[in-house]
Parts: sequence; structure tokens; C-alpha cells
Amino acid sequence: MHRRNPSILPTLPVICVLLLGLLPAGPGAVQAQGADAASILNSRCAACHERTADGGLSRVEDMRKTPEGWDMAIVRMTIMHGVRIPAEERAVLVKHLADTQGLAPEETRDWRYILERRPNALDKAPDDDLATLCGRCHSFARVALQRRDAEEWRKLAHFHLGQFPTAEYQAMGRDRNWWEIVSTSVPDKLGKLYPLRTAAWTKWLDQDAADLSGRWRVAGRRPGKGAYHGIAAITASGEDRYRVALDLTYADGGTASGSGNAIVYTGYEWRARLNLDGESVLQVFTLSEDGRELSGRWFLEDLDSVGGNLRAVRMGPAATILAVEPAYLRGGTFGRIAIHGVGLDGEVDLGEGVEVTSTVSRSSETVVVEARATAGARPGARGVRVGGADAGGLFTVYSRIDSVRVEPDEAIARVGGAGGPLAAVPAQFEAVAYMNGSDGAAGTDDDQRIGVMPATWSVDDFNETAAAMKDSQYAGRIDMKGLFLPAAAGPNPERPFATNNAGDLAVKAVVNDAGRKIEGAGHLIVTVQRWNDPPIR
Amino acid sequence: MKHLKPLNKKAGLLDQAVEQGKTDEVYLMDTVAGCSTTLDPGWEVDPFGGVAALCQPMEADLYGCSDPCWWPAQVADTLNTYPDWNQDADSAQRDWRKLQSVFPKGS
Repeated sequence: MHRRNPSILPTLPVICVLLLGLLPAGPGAVQAQGADAASILNSRCAACHERTADGGLSRVEDMRKTPEGWDMAIVRMTIMHGVRIPAEERAVLVKHLADTQGLAPEETRDWRYILERRPNALDKAPDDDLATLCGRCHSFARVALQRRDAEEWRKLAHFHLGQFPTAEYQAMGRDRNWWEIVSTSVPDKLGKLYPLRTAAWTKWLDQDAADLSGRWRVAGRRPGKGAYHGIAAITASGEDRYRVALDLTYADGGTASGSGNAIVYTGYEWRARLNLDGESVLQVFTLSEDGRELSGRWFLEDLDSVGGNLRAVRMGPAATILAVEPAYLRGGTFGRIAIHGVGLDGEVDLGEGVEVTSTVSRSSETVVVEARATAGARPGARGVRVGGADAGGLFTVYSRIDSVRVEPDEAIARVGGAGGPLAAVPAQFEAVAYMNGSDGAAGTDDDQRIGVMPATWSVDDFNETAAAMKDSQYAGRIDMKGLFLPAAAGPNPERPFATNNAGDLAVKAVVNDAGRKIEGAGHLIVTVQRWNDPPIR
Repeated sequence: MKHLKPLNKKAGLLDQAVEQGKTDEVYLMDTVAGCSTTLDPGWEVDPFGGVAALCQPMEADLYGCSDPCWWPAQVADTLNTYPDWNQDADSAQRDWRKLQSVFPKGS
């Protein structure tokens, strides 16, 4: 981006400060509010980080990170090296560093789940070595969202040895020549996979910054509560800073509204905090490269396993279909179908075998129609069209439900509360109906997804060991929205060894398909708290 | 054990454990340097994909994890990074409610 000057060369007055002895951070070195990033780097960081020949700071200039990654680096300096930095200066530094030494959109694409704090994502390292040596303690995404050359990755290995020396003796460390591996081949490999300088980042630096001001049409789904649609009004409040007002309507008629502040890092990383009906909500979205679409996940600030997906498009002349609700219709039945989007003018077409019998209401943002799927309509997903707007895969006709899958099929929840400072971490499940594919068998790759269905929920012991420990009796309960609420933290004197209310559970959903009961099952581990919980885990 | 008679309370408990077929569990917990450092069972999930083989209750060996920097990604390590984390909580089993999450939230 033209206005993101990657240089952190100090200005003349700042050079004077440097010459005065690289002031150590401390109460006497507190910056006035509004201090710019260069002066904060000088006052807070340059005492330890040497100036390099090109005017940057050693180590700092040798890596690129996400906003969360830079925030964690600054926090690490406060915890491990005693740097004192006020919250507003921490925020200024994160903005500056993420803008000038961030990651290009394509460099974060495969790893966004960890930024979006998606519960139960499958974290996959490029090979078994990296999965074992990095991914056994934290997500591999945490590694893959950093860019360093081999020598700088090697310094990270040295940091781990110094800070966490027993890593060498732990399982999957002591069974190999750990130090030799993590200080030689692993940094070399990471330097090739995730180098400091890339064409993608160089190109992204030339991207013009987008102005996000305006009205945006939003749609999404909050598991446990359902699909929603609405409007986001975004107004600029400073450079890369915005006010956001959000009004949502859920498919069940419920509403939610609120407002808050947003900041755009690196030209595309949207982060916002909103008060939505009394709940503090964080948004982690990415802006598309054409500046027309925001997408990602939002979640409760204090309970990030609870949240929803969101997709937003600018309201303007371009017609777009965002969502169809409900997203399915059974062959031979009538239904009322809502189509949400932008510029929805013109005839509605729900695909072959589906007749639109009447229009209930319409605006350019929502069209509601009555439709009938013929008894012999071909089962499967269809394209939906309203005038010039079309979208594939948003609407499905089905003949019968062949199987139900609990999603996520592997989940984790944590005990909490009970007077302790860490809240329990719940797990949210959904029951998703499927049709068999051409192989006629359920659970295979060619199954066709119908959509999320209401279900009756229960939990059971996952295996004999869990049954012997009566895990399902102690670990928590699941409500009829598929939300598992873990039990209290702390030793439980009622259990053998006063064990925690941890448990190994099967989560069962029963969907009623016109009188047929179809069951799906998932696996839930209810485990203990984590005391170290940074934004990138 | 037929010809041995427990003389104190602990020996009595051992005797009971044998009678109840819990001998293996008694041996399992009989570790010198802490459950985690000896058995390395995992923090959240055990090597078998469940929770039954974790150190439980977690509080019984929490400081056996934090002191030698075991699971530092999940547990505050008092070896180097957070030396004062548990200074006001002498017994994890009794004082676990005093233990705080260590990452400071942003503004």
C-alpha cells in the first residue's frame, strides 16, 4: 500500500532520544498519548533491539506477523523482559507493525481458523516432523502465520530452548536428537516454507487501501441460534478506523442490534468490538481484494467458542445473492423461502423442479416467495437466480434424509466456573442432514448435504472406560439447541480419585424426518482449563 | 498379604486397595517427580484420544506441570515465564480458584 511506509527510520528528534542512551522503558519513559509508532519503537524497544544498518531494529525487522501475532510478541516482551507499555501504545505498535510487516491475504488464507478462533478446526502441518515438533504444543497455524528467514527461525528455536528448556525432555522430544533437529533442519525448512520476503507481500504493499465506509448487506449463521441477515452501517472515524452499527434479524424472527468500533490492519484484516444486545462481540473478518466483501467469524469476547459466520457485501449497483433460508425443501412439499442479498430485482428462479407459486414480499435486499418442489424433482443442490443475480449451492431439494451427521464430529469443551476465574468453555453442535450419493451408502464422500435440521440432543459415555467413570453423569449437559454446557471445574470428591468433571462423551442428535427417526453421533472431549490462552493458540 | 497386618492408616488403605482390585491405580500414582514429568500423559487429551489416562484431578499435579515447564502452551510455567503465578496458592487442590489466566487482554 502506498501509504504504508515499511521504513521505521527515526525522525531527527527521535534520533536525539536514541543518542541520549536508548532510554529503558519505565514509568519515566511513558509516551504522551498519540505518540507515533516510530517514537514508541525508540522509547520502548530500541533499548534492547539494536539499530541495524538500514535503520530498523534487530529481530523486529526480521519477521512479519498478523496483528494478533505482533500483539503476542509485544506482550511477550512485557512478561519476559519487563517492558512497560501502556495499552494505547501497544495498540499503536500493533497497527504499525501489522501494516508494515504483515502477511498478504494469500499468506493467511489457509490458516484463518486460528485467527477466527474457530473451535474444533483440524490443524494440519505440512509434514509429520513439523506436526510433532511444533504442533504438539500449539497449533501449527501459529507457526504458519509468521514469516522469517532460516536464521531468524533458528533464533526462535534458541528462544524455546532457553525459555522452555524441558521441551527437550518431553514426549516426542526425548525420543530423538531434539536440539540438533530443531536448530538445523527445522529452521531451514521453515525458512523455505515461510520466508521473510515473498512476491505476495511485495505486491500487497502496493495495493491501494480501500475505504470501507457505507452500507453493507450481511448474512450468516450462528450455530445454535440459526441463520440471520441484516445491515451493517460503517462510517469512517479515522485512518483505517470505523464505527459500525449492526442490525440483524434471525430466521426465527428474533433480532439483535448493536454498535462498536473497528480497525483495519494490513489493508484487509478487519477487527471490531461491538456491543450486541449487551454482549461484547469480536469480529475477525477479511476484506476481499476487490474491497467488496467482508467475511469471517464473530464470537463472544469472553466465550469465543460461541459465535457465528458472517459474509457481507457492499450495497451498491452490483446484484448479489448472499443466503437462501431455509436452504432446503423436501420434494412434493410447499415452503416459504427467503432470499437475501443486494439488488434483488427481477424474476425468482429456484432451479429445476421447484415452482415459485407466489411472491409474499420483496425489496431489493430480501425476496420472500412461496414455492413447491415437485414430487419427482431431482434431489440435489441448485443454482438460485433473482434477475441478474445468481448463486450456486445455496438451495437443495431432497427426497428423504438418509443420514445425520453431528457437526463438528470431534469437539472439545472445558470445565470452568465454580468460583474460579476461568469460565467453562461450551461446545456447540449442529445436526446436519445428508442424502446418500450415487453409491447408495451413508458416510461416504459422495453424500449430498441437505442442511442443518432441528434435533433432539443427548450425550452418552463414549466407551467402556467413560462408562466405568460415569463421565456422562458428571461432565455436563447438552440443551435442545445442541449447546453442551460443561460442569464445574475443580476436583470432584464424588468421583474416583476426586477426579475433575472431565469426560469422554458421545453426542447424539435424533432428527425426525416425517416420522422416521435418524440418529447421528459426534465425539466430545470435556477436558480441563487452559491457563495460558493467547489470541493465537 | 495374608500374613501381613497393616499397622498404620496408610498401610490400611493400601490393603483395601488390593482387596478392591485397585493395585494398578495405586502403582500408577506412585511417582517421584510428578505425574506429568514421569508419565507425560498430555494436558487436554491422553495418548489414546480420551481423558481417562490424564493426571486427574488435574490439580493434584498442576504444579508438577507448571514448575518444570510442562505444557507451557496451556499452563503458566513458573520455571521462567510466570514465576509468581501461584505464589498465593500453596495448594492447587485447595487454592485453584486463585490461579489466573496469564495472557493480558488487549484494549
